[in-house]
Amino acid sequence: MKSLSNTKLGLLVLWPTFWTGFPLKLVISLLLLAGGLHPWEGTGLKFLLLLSIPIDMWALGLCARTVLLERLHVEPQPGFGVRLWWQWALFSILYLPLLYYIVGAVVATAQSLSASIIEFLKQNVVTIHIAEQITLDLVLWGSVATLVLLLLLGGWFFGLGALVQRQVRVAVHKDGSFQDMVSRWDSLRVPPDQGLLLTAFTGGGVVLSLIFWGLLPVTTPHPHEEYEYTYVKKVERPVHPKEILKKTKKVLAKAKSVIEELEKKKKEEKKSKKTGGDVKISPKANQGKKSPPSLKSKGV
Amino acid sequence: MQPKLTAKARCTDKEIGRISKVIVDPLSREISHVVIQVNHGGDRERKVPIGEIQEAVSEEEVILKCTSNEFDQFPEIDRDNYVTLKEVEIAHLEEHLDVEPGEILVPLPTLERGMPRRTFFANMTHAVGAMIALPLVFPVLKYLMKPMYRTFDNSWFNIGNVQKIKKENIGVQYKFTRGVKEAFMPEEKVTKNVWVVKTTPQVLEKVYGNKEKKFEDSTGKVVWVNKPNVPYVAFSGKCPHLGCGYKWRRVKKYPDGVFLCPCHLSVYDEAGIVLDGPAPRRLDILPMQLTASGDVKIIDIVYKAGVKEEIRLL
Amino acid sequence: MNWKPDTVNQATAFEKVVDFIDERVGLKTVQAKMLNEPVPGGSRWAYAFGSCLLFIFILQAVTGILLMFYYVPSTDHAYASTQYILHEVDYGWFLLSYHFWGSSAMVVMVFAHMSQVFLWGAYKRPRELIWLVGLALFGIVMAFGFTGYLLPWDQRAFWATTVGVEIMDKTPVIGDFLSRFLKGGPTPGQMTISRFFVIHVMILPATLMGLASLHLFLFRKAGPAGPFRGSPEEIKAKTDYFFPRQIWKDIIAMASVFLIVASLAFIEPVELLEKATPDPGDYHPEPEWYFLFLFQLLRLKIFGGEFGQFLGTIAIPGAFMELLAALPFIDRHPNRDIFKRPVALVSWIVVMLGILIFTVSAILNREFLD
Repeated sequence: MKSLSNTKLGLLVLWPTFWTGFPLKLVISLLLLAGGLHPWEGTGLKFLLLLSIPIDMWALGLCARTVLLERLHVEPQPGFGVRLWWQWALFSILYLPLLYYIVGAVVATAQSLSASIIEFLKQNVVTIHIAEQITLDLVLWGSVATLVLLLLLGGWFFGLGALVQRQVRVAVHKDGSFQDMVSRWDSLRVPPDQGLLLTAFTGGGVVLSLIFWGLLPVTTPHPHEEYEYTYVKKVERPVHPKEILKKTKKVLAKAKSVIEELEKKKKEEKKSKKTGGDVKISPKANQGKKSPPSLKSKGV
Repeated sequence: MQPKLTAKARCTDKEIGRISKVIVDPLSREISHVVIQVNHGGDRERKVPIGEIQEAVSEEEVILKCTSNEFDQFPEIDRDNYVTLKEVEIAHLEEHLDVEPGEILVPLPTLERGMPRRTFFANMTHAVGAMIALPLVFPVLKYLMKPMYRTFDNSWFNIGNVQKIKKENIGVQYKFTRGVKEAFMPEEKVTKNVWVVKTTPQVLEKVYGNKEKKFEDSTGKVVWVNKPNVPYVAFSGKCPHLGCGYKWRRVKKYPDGVFLCPCHLSVYDEAGIVLDGPAPRRLDILPMQLTASGDVKIIDIVYKAGVKEEIRLL
Repeated sequence: MNWKPDTVNQATAFEKVVDFIDERVGLKTVQAKMLNEPVPGGSRWAYAFGSCLLFIFILQAVTGILLMFYYVPSTDHAYASTQYILHEVDYGWFLLSYHFWGSSAMVVMVFAHMSQVFLWGAYKRPRELIWLVGLALFGIVMAFGFTGYLLPWDQRAFWATTVGVEIMDKTPVIGDFLSRFLKGGPTPGQMTISRFFVIHVMILPATLMGLASLHLFLFRKAGPAGPFRGSPEEIKAKTDYFFPRQIWKDIIAMASVFLIVASLAFIEPVELLEKATPDPGDYHPEPEWYFLFLFQLLRLKIFGGEFGQFLGTIAIPGAFMELLAALPFIDRHPNRDIFKRPVALVSWIVVMLGILIFTVSAILNREFLD
């Protein structure tokens, strides 16, 4: 009977599980993005995580079964995927925040340490230019942080693998050659009712495409602030009849006063011609007679 | 029955050797000769025309018509004058020949045995492929169709004054310049043609039939109404047949003048009614208004050419 | 042989059409030979990168052709027409953003594909020619990215191209000729955009299609290399056919790539800067992200000065490409197990880490400039 280390087993199961669920989660993410939500924060994230649960349960069951059959020649009990998912989720909820906190602390410490090392070097040993400084700083704290991260991840894989190992102990040993094992896990991937899955998949895909078309914005969500649109964007101005009347009255009043002034001027001209007074050189008075502004009705 | 390679060859008296090669005529694709390797003759191979085979007893044995002594008269093959099928491509040769020593078989991998797996993955591959293409169909179609159905431009253009018209019931040409702005291109100036007729009441009745003429935009809202009591008519300068520019002319057949289109010789009278030619409908009337000072203003409508109905394009 | 009554229905119309073509083209034989290719050791997700590249190229061609319905390659209309596509043509922003992010995806995929081939030792005999043609294809992908980047004619496009061509100018002997050829003159202008356009939409696609066909043909001739370890029993047990198994994995990978690129189009749609002007103003020229590591390297003091610049822009990258080209002829050992090729494994890790570190450094460097 073959055996695998916990860490290796954890990684062997986690890697395909992640990638198996990945395309389905991408579909969800894309629809969220089309609808204006971000799948990495807020409502979008909650939605994504919620829908990921059944996906991950299925993926975990399938991939873990595959690894167990091929590598360890055992087949776990039914319902194994869901069980394992709960155990993995519980363990991860405890372990991952711890990992995040530790790595965060290590990064902060390493960054400040690296900065002081560089300061020391710059003052006492050699001048370091900006580009070199950036890279040196990055490598110094980056390598430390990466190492710590890898070690802690190893611990995570170890825990996941240990949980799988518990299932292995109660699993059924399968006799057969390597070919038999491969054929077994391969047939796990073929559904008993192909037509149903195919129809459901295609139908679901069509529905999701229709939703995508509905959500897709017609014009860019990030317009350039200085772009001039080629069509006149209709700004609906509310119509105020009272204001229009006021305006018209003003125009009429002004026109009236202009006419009165012109008539006055005409009379004065006639007077001055009769009396033969000083010839006033006023080019404006002698210009062609201007007709008073007409209040023609405009078309429509 | 075609002779098989390695089939035994017998002369009338005794077994002479084995068929080692087959020679094919590249044009007729028939076997022209067999090459027989002589038993105990070392590398000796003789070229024997196919006609010399008396009968093919079975796939494993053929009998020649000649005796073993006569066999030596057949020429030896000059190998350099021939190429194998690996060196030359003869179209459709496989369908005529069957000279392999049995079929060459290749086993299916274990994972490929049994149809269900193959059909499942084949069908799912097609389904996924369709699902990649589908989301793009609608956006791409809309993208390509964007400029195809532009909104109508209902702005008024002043094309000139009616003082120009001296006589009634003749076509008078008015040219006006308007700006055209297409998408992101800067505005360009184009000059267009309109024909205006000052009508007598009889001709006016022929034009409007005493009814108002409504002009609508794409939503069906009425943009303008030409009243049948205004004695001027403005016709679009494009012939409704295929869009050429027509002119008012005096010709022998119509000495008083008609609208004549030079492209396909459509003829219209002063009311725009078709007198002759392939035009599917009368001349298109434009929305028109006259200012108090006699300026003519029109909306520059373009109608679809070549159809009976009035279909507005711009 | 027992004669059975013909209970099978008449061939459907579709089958009749297929038979018609098959009689004249040998369609069924060709199809069978192309699809029923055994993949030793079984189909694998790791082999999907090549097909993904083909898929990305096809989508770039499709979106590119669609963009050409509205884009005008002249200095007075390039910017306006691109803005028009983004702001006014229905879904134009999505297609342009997809095209933009698709080009980044192509570069990532090229690195992934080359890495997979390198790590699997699939450049070794008898696959040397496939590797060389692949390197040429890599150059073409980079050329695509470089030429396409100029077309929107905004500040970013103009200045990134100007700097890039200036670098090429430093190539010994042919540098000045090459840069003038690309610019269509001593300085960038209308001639530049015309040349970049024809190179991007006609010359490079034709070359890529030709070389990709050659690449596929040579690959088929040599057959897939398969896994680098495993007992014959293990390899035989997992062997399956190209169709439908590998194609299934390929299409899922393609779908994932499609979804990722579309998502990027939503996360960061293309936004142009101001129209290109001869004065950079406040704008700090920067190349596209996959050139950032080179960009950052050139900031190091050892690459300062004329010789240093030559070293950093021409000599070292050139030597590296030549090393890659010579690889199948230098590394003749038939063993393909990466865990037994320490030099190969370590070099790959060092190169990838180096590119990563300098790319991140370039991003961090931006803060120093603002």
